[in-house]
Amino acid sequence: MQALISLDNAPPLAAPLRFFLSAPLFLMLAGLLLAVAGPEVFASRWLPATLALVHLVTIGFMLQVMIGAMIQVLPVVAGASLPRPLALARFVHAALSVGALLLAAGFLSGGAALLRLAALLLALGVGAFLLAAMPVVLPQVSTSPTIRGLKLSLFGLAGVAGLGVALALGLAHGWRLPYPELADLHAGWGLAAWAGVLLAAMAYVMMPMFQLTPGYPARPSWWYPPLLLGLVLLWSLAVALGWPLLTRLTQGMLAVVGLAFTGLTLRLQRQRRRARADATSRYWLAGLCAALGALAMLAAATLWPAVTVWPAWTPLFAILLLAGAFVSFIAGMLYKIVPFLTWMHLQLKMQPGLPAPNMNRLLPDPAMRRQALSYLMALALLLGAAVAPSWLARPAGILLALAGGWLWWNLLGTAWRYRLQAIALAGASDERAQRAGG
Amino acid sequence: MTHPKTPHVVDARYMAPPEPFVRTMEMLDTLQPGEKMLLLLFREPHPLYRVLRQNGHAFESELLPDGTFEILISR
Repeated sequence: MQALISLDNAPPLAAPLRFFLSAPLFLMLAGLLLAVAGPEVFASRWLPATLALVHLVTIGFMLQVMIGAMIQVLPVVAGASLPRPLALARFVHAALSVGALLLAAGFLSGGAALLRLAALLLALGVGAFLLAAMPVVLPQVSTSPTIRGLKLSLFGLAGVAGLGVALALGLAHGWRLPYPELADLHAGWGLAAWAGVLLAAMAYVMMPMFQLTPGYPARPSWWYPPLLLGLVLLWSLAVALGWPLLTRLTQGMLAVVGLAFTGLTLRLQRQRRRARADATSRYWLAGLCAALGALAMLAAATLWPAVTVWPAWTPLFAILLLAGAFVSFIAGMLYKIVPFLTWMHLQLKMQPGLPAPNMNRLLPDPAMRRQALSYLMALALLLGAAVAPSWLARPAGILLALAGGWLWWNLLGTAWRYRLQAIALAGASDERAQRAGG
Repeated sequence: MTHPKTPHVVDARYMAPPEPFVRTMEMLDTLQPGEKMLLLLFREPHPLYRVLRQNGHAFESELLPDGTFEILISR
């Protein structure tokens, strides 16, 4: 085990942990914003509070965890180590955290200077990560679908960030841009080409590893990442050429491909050998069901565009896809990654003869299960709020804030217990050295 | 468990980490010079690859249609 870790080129714990510990705070902030802004958030996707809320979740929560996870797992799943991971993590984390806050403030206040500064910080954060990751990840030979997925996801990240910066600067300067088409495309790059591809690449490794499911069959695993990226590129071409029919077609095909992947993942989850349902398996099951719902809605909207006239359609779709699918998948992954990482770093400090650390004590299962239940209740209220916003918007916001805060509290507790055990291990080892010396 | 490629097989497809690594290192210790062992996993074990390279073991991996990686390791 010692050999495994010391040769693992694992980055220092502080590199990924800063992303994992600050991300839930943005979920909490999103909940608080909903509680304060109330039902108007559900009235239109273009309202300042709605734009701020969505980006607190997508940048503050999702992007932070995804980049933190990538910094951690690249050596393990792709054999690629980022240079100076701690310095990179510090810079990217600061740029994304402050950038997400300024972007939300910029949307809420309509301040052009805030939007410009947010766009600059987010571009610097994502750009620094891509500049560090691309030279080490892209030359890797794609010996597995995971490596191919990781490589392609970096182009997805570049695409969503590039479009996002252009849109933010466009709003700040009052440029005449086709905002609805570009905003849809920005979401397509972010959720399909970046988050969707990265999620699949990680699921190929993490589901069999932590949930003891069968592996993903090779052929669809190879094809899924390039298919998603290819479809988003085709969608971009359709927007550039002004062909709305091709846009609709690519959106429909993305829905079908996503449904196939989600269905396959559900089948693998049912075959898992770790039969006991823990917080992660609950989060993932909820996420998969929400993804099925969201993708079915996307498919329906491409076949019958008239359905989107229903006022609850867009909020329902966004809540299912973001809060239902992606946030649930990521929270479930956090509950596997954070205890595993802290346990692994404690193992590294182990000396023969000292008591071995216990992973369950680092993050007890009941605390995770209760928090997961609170989040799923918040999700149910959010879905209800899409239909009856005046009744449920504020309660949903309060519960979302509580569930986000609770997630933060659980992860912080793990970091705290890690610190205590690390200090105890260092003390025991010093004591033994002194005894041996004396 | 045996396999057409070698009788020495660690089927780690439903094992949680770090068991696949530990079992592989244990089996490598029991092999005679010239013998090979096969590790079956649903992922590519890059940390193990680094240890194998450092210890001078040759290995090759193949992805099967069902998602299994067959990693053939020489003593």
